[in-house]
Amino acid sequence: MLELDEKFFERFGVEYSPNEIIFCEYEPGNEFYFIQKGKVRIVKIINDREKTIDVLEEGDVFGEMSILEEEPRSATAIAGSHVRVLKFHRDNFDALLQGNPQLAYKLLLIFSKRIYDAKRRLMILLLDEPSVKVMDVLIMLAEQNPHFDFEGEISLTTNAQQVASWSGMAEAQVQKELTQLARVDKIELFDDHIVVKNIRDFQRIVTSRRKNMYS
Amino acid sequence: MAMQSGIMTRVYKPGSIIYFENDKSEYIYILKSGRVLLTYTKIDTGEEVKEEVRQGEFFGVKSALGKYPREETAQTIGETTVLVLGMADFESLILRNVNIVRKMLRVFSNQLRRIGRTVRTVLGESDNVNPDLELFRIGEHYYKAGDFAKSSYAFKKYMEYYPDTDNAKIAMERIRTVGAGGPAPSKNQSSDEFDFSMDSGNEEPLFEFSDDDSVLPELNGNGSSGGSPSMSSEFSSEMDDFLADDLDDFSGDIDDFSFGDDSPKTSVKTPEEELSAADRSLDSGNYDTALEIYTGINDRPGSVSDAIAARAEYGAGVCLFEMRKYKDAMGHFSKIMKDFQKSDKMKGTLYHIGMIFEAAGQKDKAIAYYNKVLNMTPKDGINSKALDKIKSLQRG
Repeated sequence: MLELDEKFFERFGVEYSPNEIIFCEYEPGNEFYFIQKGKVRIVKIINDREKTIDVLEEGDVFGEMSILEEEPRSATAIAGSHVRVLKFHRDNFDALLQGNPQLAYKLLLIFSKRIYDAKRRLMILLLDEPSVKVMDVLIMLAEQNPHFDFEGEISLTTNAQQVASWSGMAEAQVQKELTQLARVDKIELFDDHIVVKNIRDFQRIVTSRRKNMYS
Repeated sequence: MAMQSGIMTRVYKPGSIIYFENDKSEYIYILKSGRVLLTYTKIDTGEEVKEEVRQGEFFGVKSALGKYPREETAQTIGETTVLVLGMADFESLILRNVNIVRKMLRVFSNQLRRIGRTVRTVLGESDNVNPDLELFRIGEHYYKAGDFAKSSYAFKKYMEYYPDTDNAKIAMERIRTVGAGGPAPSKNQSSDEFDFSMDSGNEEPLFEFSDDDSVLPELNGNGSSGGSPSMSSEFSSEMDDFLADDLDDFSGDIDDFSFGDDSPKTSVKTPEEELSAADRSLDSGNYDTALEIYTGINDRPGSVSDAIAARAEYGAGVCLFEMRKYKDAMGHFSKIMKDFQKSDKMKGTLYHIGMIFEAAGQKDKAIAYYNKVLNMTPKDGINSKALDKIKSLQRG
């Protein structure tokens, strides 16, 4: 966590009540936020339904795309609890970096991770076959846990809905693919987790499909 | 400046590999002299891309910081000297050189935007959207869902950034309606502060658009801003709308409704006793009987207290509502809102008006009234019924 003094919070600190909008999708964005306390839901209205795409916590940054230039917000941020954030306008950014190099470093870490996650997701989305997409989401989820042993069975805390959102597929289709994989004994399906029997096998399949895509 | 002791200098022969794609490592490099070529595969095209590192430049930063595998292979051309930094070295280095961070953030931010655009393209989400229209749509989404605090936020932002667009008038109207229909639950607003009064005898439109609406209704405060349109005007305008325009829906019911005007009966009962009798009839479903007594009470010339009168009006409204004579019911309910705002029947009144709008298929207005009920104290069964109603309307 960042060490920030009280004065800093007095100047940039803002509090939100549960369910209050912090910013709204498509609103021009000029500030980015650093969560000091509480949870923030990131949602989008998709097909006239509100969909939660992420839940951020203490220490997380959001709205960071406005660091460079004004751009409409790509999602809505809603306080998921009583929330305390530090709110920084782009114009203060330089001064902020000078005064708080730790924050600057933290932002670098966050951007690095976001870029990787976005690229990784793009790789999944670019695959053609639904079954391979589903496999690659499972691989990606496995990659996120550095403690997994890829030579053995891997238990992933996930469900069809989450896989659907990563793969850009309909949940029903994902369910169908998962059922098929379970039928051929590649995975086992549970309410709140999925066991992958041989993730190396999935990796081989996905890598070979990915190579073929460009040849 | 003294470097951290952890930073090493390494000299590579020509053609050496510093790291391979997919390697995992937490080292970050700075090219000191010589040449380094980075080779990576473009995700979307599979194309192999080569990029040369310039002297003094960092490489291997993102994968080290993000703790993910190298995305490129780094190979030397000619004899090359690099500085090798562990994460801690890198951190302490950049903490003293914020300009480096700024440059990196700029690069990262651009990359993230680029990837974001590609993702949206792949998902078939158009980049050519009008932010103003989309922002308006979000306001509409929350408005229709009965989530008024959120819809107001979106509409207020809309008015702030796009005041001259086609939908501004609707957005403004929505903001006002929400202002009237129960703003976001606020800390110090009690039902007593609602003002339902209506200038009696005022035949002019009570609710009017004008262009001097620079002051938006204060949606999260305690309503002290002088610019807020009063709720009474909003309410009465809705009443008028309803009474004037929406009656055709109930035509059959309206005409055949009549009740005996051969009263007032000479009665020795006190108004309180009559009320109790009427309440019992209402409870047992004898709406005609109950209605007759309720109306009888208020026909007694000038002899009942406001509390009694309000209860009688309310009872009559409920009877008529149950008999599906919505227009007549509305007449009684709006009288309560006009004359008896302090009555303990206000909440029930708002709830019934909500149900009348619901019956008329006016979902938005129904939700607005139910939402108003939600915020009223003391909380009781009507509050929870209103919540159920809102939920079911939102599902529908």
